[in-house]
Amino acid sequence: MRLLICIKQVPDSTTRVKVATDGRSIVTDGVTWSISPYDEYAIELALEHKDTAPDAVVSVVGPLGIADALRAVVEELKPDLVLCGRQASDDDEGFVGPALAEALGWPHVSQVTRLEPDSGQLWKEVEGGHEVWKVSGGAVLTVQKSAKDPRYPSLPGIMKAKKKEIPERSVAGVEDPVKLEIVKLEPPPARGGGKIFKDGDTKAHAAELATLLRDEAKVL
Amino acid sequence: MIPPTQGLGALALAAVAALGVGAFAYRAWRLYRYLRLGWDEDRRANVGRRLKDELVIYLLQRKLLKRPYYLRGLAHAFIFWGFIVITLGTADLLASGIFGLRMPGAESGAFVWAVDVFAVLVLVSIALALGRRLFFKPPRMHIALDGYVILTLIAVLMVSLLLFEHAGVAAGYLAIRQSVPPFAQLLPLPFPAGSAGGIFAAAWWVHVVTVLGFLAYLPQSKHLHIVTTLPNVFFRSERPRGALRFVDKIEEQERFGAATLRDLSWKQHLDGYTCTECGRCSDNCPALATGKPLDPQKIVLDLRDLLLKEGDLLLKDPTATGTAPAHQLQTKPDELWACTTCAACVEQCPVTIEHIDKIVDMRRYLTMQEAAAPPEAQRAMTNIERAGNPWGEAAGTRGDWAEGLGVPTFAEKPDAEYLYFVGCAASFDRRNQRVAKALARILQGAGTSFAILAAAETCNGDPARRMGNEYLWQIQAQRNIETFGRYNVRKIIASCPHCFNTIANEYPQLGGAYQVVHALQLVQDLISEKRIALGPGVAESVAYHDPCYLGRHNGIYEDPRAVLDAIDGVTRMEIEPHHRERGFCCGAGGGRMWMEEKVGQRVNHRRVEQILAAGDAKGGRPAKVASGCPFCLIMLDEGVGAKGIQEELKPVDVLELVAARITDPKEGLTA
Repeated sequence: MRLLICIKQVPDSTTRVKVATDGRSIVTDGVTWSISPYDEYAIELALEHKDTAPDAVVSVVGPLGIADALRAVVEELKPDLVLCGRQASDDDEGFVGPALAEALGWPHVSQVTRLEPDSGQLWKEVEGGHEVWKVSGGAVLTVQKSAKDPRYPSLPGIMKAKKKEIPERSVAGVEDPVKLEIVKLEPPPARGGGKIFKDGDTKAHAAELATLLRDEAKVL
Repeated sequence: MIPPTQGLGALALAAVAALGVGAFAYRAWRLYRYLRLGWDEDRRANVGRRLKDELVIYLLQRKLLKRPYYLRGLAHAFIFWGFIVITLGTADLLASGIFGLRMPGAESGAFVWAVDVFAVLVLVSIALALGRRLFFKPPRMHIALDGYVILTLIAVLMVSLLLFEHAGVAAGYLAIRQSVPPFAQLLPLPFPAGSAGGIFAAAWWVHVVTVLGFLAYLPQSKHLHIVTTLPNVFFRSERPRGALRFVDKIEEQERFGAATLRDLSWKQHLDGYTCTECGRCSDNCPALATGKPLDPQKIVLDLRDLLLKEGDLLLKDPTATGTAPAHQLQTKPDELWACTTCAACVEQCPVTIEHIDKIVDMRRYLTMQEAAAPPEAQRAMTNIERAGNPWGEAAGTRGDWAEGLGVPTFAEKPDAEYLYFVGCAASFDRRNQRVAKALARILQGAGTSFAILAAAETCNGDPARRMGNEYLWQIQAQRNIETFGRYNVRKIIASCPHCFNTIANEYPQLGGAYQVVHALQLVQDLISEKRIALGPGVAESVAYHDPCYLGRHNGIYEDPRAVLDAIDGVTRMEIEPHHRERGFCCGAGGGRMWMEEKVGQRVNHRRVEQILAAGDAKGGRPAKVASGCPFCLIMLDEGVGAKGIQEELKPVDVLELVAARITDPKEGLTA
C-alpha cells in the first residue's frame, strides 16, 4: 500500500500575524512556519497505518502548490491513496484536496478520521457521529482532526529527516485557472475591555448584567 | 591472646579462609563484569573532594544522621563504627591464627577496650534494628529474609566475640600489661572450673568461621553495601545536583537515553549493588506519598535485578541488547513519568545513589528513541519548538507584561549590568506576571541597572530536558546562549528557580558561563546593603514553601527566609516537618507542570494540607504561603482554589511581599 500525503507550510498558530503595508499580504519576517495542523493529522493517519503494516510506503509532498502540479507528482509516484488535511490553517480554503481529486479523476472523501487501507474502509465524520465508507482504487482523502494527536517525532526520525534530500519542483509553467485575488487584509479589531462588577449587591449585579446582555451586547 | 590454632588448626583455618575469600571473590568478579557492561563514565577527577566525601559521608555517616532518622541513624553508625574497629580485630585474628603474625597495636589496651565497647554497642543496635523490623515495621522498608540473616550473623559475631574475650580473660590469656576491658569485667559469666580454655577456643572458632561465611554471603545480599558504599561515595557525581548529564555530539549518536543496560554508566550499576533497601528515598517521594506508581527504591532495585538477570546474556553476546530498562518486567513508563525530579530521594539516600539520573536516562530513551512521551508532554515540547514556551503563547508577546513599566530591553540599554531572565511563566502566566512586575519595581527602587530580552528570550529548555528531550534542551540553551553573547550578558537574575538552575548549572555544559543569581538572593543582598528600604506593614503569619530547585537542588534555604524576616510585620512559619531539605514538592517539577495528574491525590493538594496541618499544630494557620518559584505559585493557587480556601491561605511570591512594602525614596511614600 502506497500513501501520499500533501502538506502545506503555514504560519504557526502561535505566531502573531501582522498585515504588511500593502494591506494585501502578511509580514513573513519572524514568522514560524509549521505544517498545517490538519495535514499533521493526515500524516498521523498514514503513520498509524505504517505502524501496523511496515511495508507501507508513505511519501510526503509539499508545500502545496497547485492541484495540477500535484497531479504530476501523483502520476509519477503512483500512490494507492492521497491524503491531505481538510484545509490549510492560513487561508482555510479547503480547495486543493477536492481539486486534486478532480484533476486525477479520482473520488474524494472529506472529513476522514480513521483509515483501514487494507479493507479500503474509512471513517468519515458527520454531525454527531461518523459514517463508514469504502473506497476501491485510488482516492483523495481530506483528513479531519481526530482523537489521536499527531505524534512527536523520535530523535532518530528527526536526524533521518534532516539528512533526507527534498527535491523541489517548479510550478512556474502551470497556469492557475482560478482567477482570485486578495483585495484586503486587516487585523481583527482590538478587544474592548470587559466590565467588572465590584463590591455591592449580587442581586443588583445580576439584574444589571441581564440588562447589559440584552441592550448592549444584544445576546439575550 | 594466643589463638587456639596450634598445629593443624592453622591449616584448617587457612582452608576455611580460602573458601570464604574464594567464594566472595568468585561472586564479586561476576558482579564486577556485569557492572562493566555499563558505559565507561570517567569519575576520577577531583580526588580531594572525593576523599572528603569518604570522611564525611562514609566514615562520619553524615547522610544517615538526618531528620527524622536520628535514632535509627545513630544505631546504624554504631554498627558501622563497630564494624570498622572489629574488622581490624578480625584481620588480627586471621593473621595470627594462620601465620602467627600480630597486627601492630592489636595487643594494646586501647584497642582491646575499643573492641569490647563496640561489640556491646553493636549488640544493642542490632537489638534495636531487630525490634524495629519485628514490632514497628517501617512503612516503606523492604522487609525480607536477607535482613534477618544479616542481623543474626552480626549478633552471632558479637556474642561469640564477647564470649571468647571473656573466657580468655577468665583463662588468664590476657597479656600482662593489658587492663581487663570493661564489659569483660561487667559480665562475669560463671564458667565451670577449668572450662574457660575450651569455651575460649569454641567461641573463637565460631566467630572466625562466621566472619568467613558472612564474607561468602555478602555478594548476594544487600549487605554488600558495606563494601560498595566505599567506591559509590568516592565516585559520586561531581556535577551540581541540579545539572543533568550532558549528551555530547547528540546528533551523531545512534541510541538515545537508556535503551539498554549498556547505556547506563557503570556507576549507575554500582548504585544498584549499593542500595541498602532502607527505603528512605521512597519515604520522602512526593509521587509515592500521593499514590502514584513511582517508587524510587524500586527503580534502583529493578535496574539491579535486570542486570543480574540479563548480565550473562549481554556478556556472552556483545550485540545483544536485552530488555529496555524502561520496559522491564517490573518498571513501567508510568512510574518514570510520575517523577517530579524534586531530589527528595537523592537528598536522603545515605549511600549517594543517583535516582534522578536513572529516571531521566530512561525518559530520554522513551522520548527521543521511542517518541513515546505522554501526549501532553509532546504538546509542551512542540510548543517550545514552535513558540519558545511550553504553553504555546505567541512568542512575540513575551515582553508585553513590561509595557508602561519603564523596563528597558537589552536592545534599548546595551550597557545594563544585569539581564533579568524573566522565563516563560512570569512572561505569559497572568498570576506570575505580577511577580515579574514586583521584581522590576524592587530593582528600580534599588537603582539596579538591568534590562530584559523581551521577544529575544526563549524557553531555557528545562522542561524539555527533564521530560527526556535532551536535544530540544540543547537547541533552546544554544539559542539563549547566542542571544546572551550578542548582548554581552555577564550577570543574570532569574525569578524562576528552574531558569536559575539550568542557566547556572547546565548552560556551562554548552560553554555558557555567567554569574547567575536567583532574585531572592539578590534582594537579600539589597536589603542587607540597605539599598532598598521596606516600610511598615500589617502583622501576618507567612509560611515559607521551599521550591525544590532553589532548596534541595541549589542549597538556597536561608536567603528567602532572611528576606521574609526583614519584612516588617511578617512572622515566618516553617511547614513542619516538610521544610528545608525535607521540603515537599508542589508537583510541577520534571515537566510535570504540563502533564496530567490523574492517579492518586494531586501533589499540590497534599502540600496545601501539610501547610494547614503545620499551622494547626502550631496553634494558628498562616495567612499566606510564600514561595520563590512561579510553578509552586501556580500549583499552590490551584491547591487552595480546589479546597475553597483561597481567602484564608493566599499563595504569594516573596518578591510580591517585598515590593508591596518598598518605600519610594523619591516620594518618601509607602506603596
